[in-house]
Amino acid sequence: MADNIIEIRDLTKKFGNFIAVNSISFDIKKGEILGFLGPNGAGKTTTIKMITGLLKISSGSIKINSLDAEKHRDATRMDIGYMSQKFSLYPKLTALENIEFFAGISGLTRKGISEKYTEIKKYVPENLLKQNIEKLPPGIKQRVALFAALLSDPEILLLDEPTSGVDPEVRRNFWQEIYSLKKEGKTILVTTHNLDEVEYADKIVILHRGNIIVEGEPEGLLAGSGKDSIEELFKEAVKENEEN
Amino acid sequence: MKRIKPVIRKEFSHILRDPKSLIIIFVMPILMIFIYGYAISFDLDNIKLGVLDYSKSDISREFIKSFLQNKYFKFVEVKEDEKTPDLFEKKLKRGDISEVMIIPHDFSDKIKEMKSTEVGFIIDGSDSNSANIIYQYNEMITFNFIKRFQDLDNILKIHTKVYFNPEVKSAFFFIPGLVAVLLLMVSALLTSLSISRERESGSIDLIFISPIKSHEIILGKTLAYIFVALMVETLIIVFSRYWFGMPVRGDILTLLAFSLLYIFTGLSLGVLISISAPDQKTAMLITLLVTMLPSIMLSGFIFPLSSLSPVLRGFSNIVPATYFLKIIRGVILKGASVTDFIRDGAILLFMSIILTIISVRKFSKNRDRGT
Repeated sequence: MADNIIEIRDLTKKFGNFIAVNSISFDIKKGEILGFLGPNGAGKTTTIKMITGLLKISSGSIKINSLDAEKHRDATRMDIGYMSQKFSLYPKLTALENIEFFAGISGLTRKGISEKYTEIKKYVPENLLKQNIEKLPPGIKQRVALFAALLSDPEILLLDEPTSGVDPEVRRNFWQEIYSLKKEGKTILVTTHNLDEVEYADKIVILHRGNIIVEGEPEGLLAGSGKDSIEELFKEAVKENEEN
Repeated sequence: MKRIKPVIRKEFSHILRDPKSLIIIFVMPILMIFIYGYAISFDLDNIKLGVLDYSKSDISREFIKSFLQNKYFKFVEVKEDEKTPDLFEKKLKRGDISEVMIIPHDFSDKIKEMKSTEVGFIIDGSDSNSANIIYQYNEMITFNFIKRFQDLDNILKIHTKVYFNPEVKSAFFFIPGLVAVLLLMVSALLTSLSISRERESGSIDLIFISPIKSHEIILGKTLAYIFVALMVETLIIVFSRYWFGMPVRGDILTLLAFSLLYIFTGLSLGVLISISAPDQKTAMLITLLVTMLPSIMLSGFIFPLSSLSPVLRGFSNIVPATYFLKIIRGVILKGASVTDFIRDGAILLFMSIILTIISVRKFSKNRDRGT
């Protein structure tokens, strides 16, 4: 499909005899928010790491903008912004220094970095930006990490558990931010184990033990199954998956 | 260079704000120099000496006095009526004394008559190094004593001059060696801990998916840490100069120039270690093992290379400290110049280039392969 920005086919990851991701296939359309759901250990982070090229795939394929991600890693990485589960910023550097570093290694010029400084000051108070990351509250760290992922203006944003460890208000604000990015044309894949967050996604994929057990638009899935919530749908699907 | 600069800046800022890293990098080497400077010594003072003087004459007392007049020997008092060979044997076994001197009855008479006589020395040989040194002290003092009675100078005059370390202080021999050991260890620790820390925190993932090339990451880290390692080296040398009074006879710039090659080797070694170490603790353990053990045992730091077995001597050729040790001892103690160490410098240059190439390749392979 021409409007698919990511196409995943029969993707598998094995660690020795353990199958972390078991032949999964799904697509993400341009400008779509995909909610990648599942309990801890379902294979969400493994899948994201394979998309970014941080993990080698065992079998299957990943296409980004129609390019094979394994064969054209440098090119496909340019299209991706990644925010990891632990935020992964440098704790002893200030927020501004972290941004300067990630902008610098992304190849931004001094002028470009200075523009980014101006931009982040709209979202985070300046006094906090000058504090070491280790001293900042999780909500601010999250914003800085998201900003760092967007520094090279990528088409695709992969967010791994961005809302874990933050309070409900910060979580709501974060999702508003995600919506703004969608409006700007970004394609976003968000992993979470909070099933109540699916209301924000255009499409959801629920993983369990490395297998896709539910895939589709949240409203359609609920209507088709007769369930009242995604949580009920999830429980039913998990039960079926375990029985099989 | 555009993408290398941010790496240099980040490494600098991060390490200078991390108290744990600062302790490892700056305090630990000073502490080790301090401890080793006093603890490791081939100098032997206060050798506990027991004396069985059967002669009991003025000459025998003069002979004993010639031993006790210098700082090396300390007389162990024993009651006159208890002085027996058996008692001294027991004392040797218990370690209460290190040596027994036995002077025969006719010692004084024979010396007066200019006839041949004998003095017995029984040395505790359980510590062969100390026994050897005590043996040499005995020979030297006895020879000087005999000179009083026979004009030996007419036959043979000995003029001995000890160059480069006239006081023959062990500390002056050890400290430059310690600098070599510590510099390799600190250099390798800097890169191995930096990369494994990034792996633990996940920030290496963000670097890996950025457009920066692997050689730019390694070059950035290396350039930042070369400066840090040179600061550590300068600190150790200044401390040794003013605390232990270690002479610095050569050109410090010559030493720093060779140090660059040596530090580069250590930093590349650290990158290689970090590739196989999953976390900081493992990285630290492997680094200490890989850098300290061969540098201490197989570089000539403590044991002369000539005393090693052929296999170990062969192995010493691939230990970077073997070459830097010669350079640092040469420059610091002997005032040697660049031209004296062209071969050693070339080998270090070769090692640093090879290790850098291998580490960049392995690092890139690791990045492309994924973990």
